[in-house]
Amino acid sequence: MPNLSEIQRDFASAILAGDVLDIATAPGRVSPAAALQVHRNTVVGALVNALRLTYPSVDALVGEAFFDQVAADFARVHPPATARLAGYGEAFANFLAVQVPTLAYLPDVARLDWALDRCSAAPDTVRHIELDGSVTLEWPVSLTVLSLNHPAGEIRAALGDDAALAVLDMTPAPRWLLVWRKGRQVMTRAASPPAAAFVDAILAEQGAQVALRAALAHSADALSLISSEIFAASFCTIGDAT
Amino acid sequence: MPGRAPQPHAAHVAPIPAVAGIGLRALHHDHVLANPGASAWLEVHPENYLGEGVAADILIAVRERYPISLHATGLSLGSVGGVDADHLSAIAELCRRIQPGLISDHLSWSAANGMHLPDLLPMPYTREAQDIFARNIETVQAALGRAILIENPSVYLAFADNEMHEAEFLAGLVRRTGCGVLLDINNIAVSAANLGEAPTARLHAMFDALPAAAVGEIHLAGHAVRDLPDGSHVAIDDHGSPASDAVWQLFADAVSRIGTRPVLIEWDTEIPAFDVLADEAAKADAILTTEVRRAEFV
Repeated sequence: MPNLSEIQRDFASAILAGDVLDIATAPGRVSPAAALQVHRNTVVGALVNALRLTYPSVDALVGEAFFDQVAADFARVHPPATARLAGYGEAFANFLAVQVPTLAYLPDVARLDWALDRCSAAPDTVRHIELDGSVTLEWPVSLTVLSLNHPAGEIRAALGDDAALAVLDMTPAPRWLLVWRKGRQVMTRAASPPAAAFVDAILAEQGAQVALRAALAHSADALSLISSEIFAASFCTIGDAT
Repeated sequence: MPGRAPQPHAAHVAPIPAVAGIGLRALHHDHVLANPGASAWLEVHPENYLGEGVAADILIAVRERYPISLHATGLSLGSVGGVDADHLSAIAELCRRIQPGLISDHLSWSAANGMHLPDLLPMPYTREAQDIFARNIETVQAALGRAILIENPSVYLAFADNEMHEAEFLAGLVRRTGCGVLLDINNIAVSAANLGEAPTARLHAMFDALPAAAVGEIHLAGHAVRDLPDGSHVAIDDHGSPASDAVWQLFADAVSRIGTRPVLIEWDTEIPAFDVLADEAAKADAILTTEVRRAEFV
C-alpha cells in the first residue's frame, strides 16, 4: 500500500496530466478510470468557472465554448496554489497572448477584467497621501492605474453590441485607465499620460515631488490635467494636512 | 500606509437552530438582504468571502440579519503536507468578523505537490491517514478556538488497502479531536451507489460507529446519474437538482435515529429561484417537526 504522500502525489498528477491512476482500488460499480474522470471534470470545471467569473469580458468576446477550451488549457498548466479561487488566474492574460495571437486586443481585455476583479476584492476604505506638508489627498486604497495598448475599456463597454464593436478603432496605442472601488461597484475612467504617471508614482510610494516630475515629463500642461482628472475627481478629496 | 475604516463585527455567535437552512450563493445575496427571515439560517463557503472586498462586506451585511454557518471546501484536512497556514489565518479572520454558528469542512483532501485542486478528493481509510487527518483537525481547531464538523464526502472509488470503513475513520477522528460530524445524506446515497452498497446500510454504519451527539448538522442535496461508455452508471454529487426521494427517506430515517439537527439545503449548480430552495427547506422542516412530535409522544 502506498503511503498517503504517494497516493496524493499520484492522484493529483493523474487528474491534471490525464495519467492512469496507478493505485489499487476496491471493486465498485464505477471503474477507477471513470471515477478519476469525475474528479478531473470537477477540478477543471471549477477552475474554468473561477476564470469565467474573473474574466467575464474575455468570455463574452470569445464565446463559452472557446473560453471553456482555453481556460481548461490554462488550468492544466497553471493550477492554483491555494484554495482561494478569487484571485486565481493572474497569468491568464499572458497565456492568451501566446495561445490566441490573432486576437491582439484580448490580453488587454483580460488585464482590465483582472484589474476590476482585484479592485472588487480590495477594502472600501481610503488612503491619505501627504503632498507637501500642508495638503493631503484622500483616494480609495483600491485605486490602480492600468496601462494598456488596446481600447479594452471601449471594448468592454460595447460588449453585446456587435455594431459598436465593429467600428471600434483597434489600432494599438498607449492608453491608461484608472480603476477604483466605490461601494459594491468598480469604477473606471480614462487617464491622460501625466495623470496616470502621477498616480502611478504616488502608488509606488515615490512621493509627491517625484510624481509631479513624472507627470511633467509627459506634458507641460501636467498640473492642469492632474487637477482636472485627479484632484477634481469624485474619488479624490483634497484636505489640509494641518 | 493605507487607511483602514472600522469594520462591523457581530458581537456574539448566533447558534444555528435545529431547523432547515439554505446554502447561500451569490445569485441570492440581494434576495436575502431584502427579505429578512427568508431562511432561518444560511450557510456559505468561506473561500468566497475572504479578505475585505465586496463579497466580505456583503456577508457581514447578511450576518447582521441571519445566523451563519461556514462550510469550508479548501482546508484540505487530509493533506499530508498539513493545512495551509495563510488560508487558515484568512478563515480564522473571517470567523472573527462574522462569528459563525457552525464551521465545517470535508473528509477529503485537495492540496498536493504545491497545487490546490478544487475538489473533495478521496482519502484512503488507513491508520496513517487518520493520524494525519486528526493532526490537521487539531491545527484548525486550535487556530479557530472551537470544534469543527467533518462532512462525509461523496466518493467514486474506494482504495483496496483501506483498513477501516469511512464511519470508523470518522468515529476515530471524533474520539481523538473532539470534532463533530456533518452528516451529508446525499453523499451517503451517492457513495453507496458508486461503491455498490445499500444506502441504508451505509447510513446505519454511521450511527453504529458514531455517538449521536457527534452529528452537529445534516446536509441534503440532489445528485445526477450519468451513463458511462461501459454501460455502467455513476452517481455524481452535483448539487444541481432537488434531493431524490431516496435521500428524503434516508433523511427521515436519520432524524428518527438521532433526533432533530440543523439541516441544510445545498444547491450549487443550475441554481433555482430562492422560493424553490425555500420549498425544499419547508419539506425538511416538516420531517423535523414530525420527529419532534413523535419524540414528545414517546
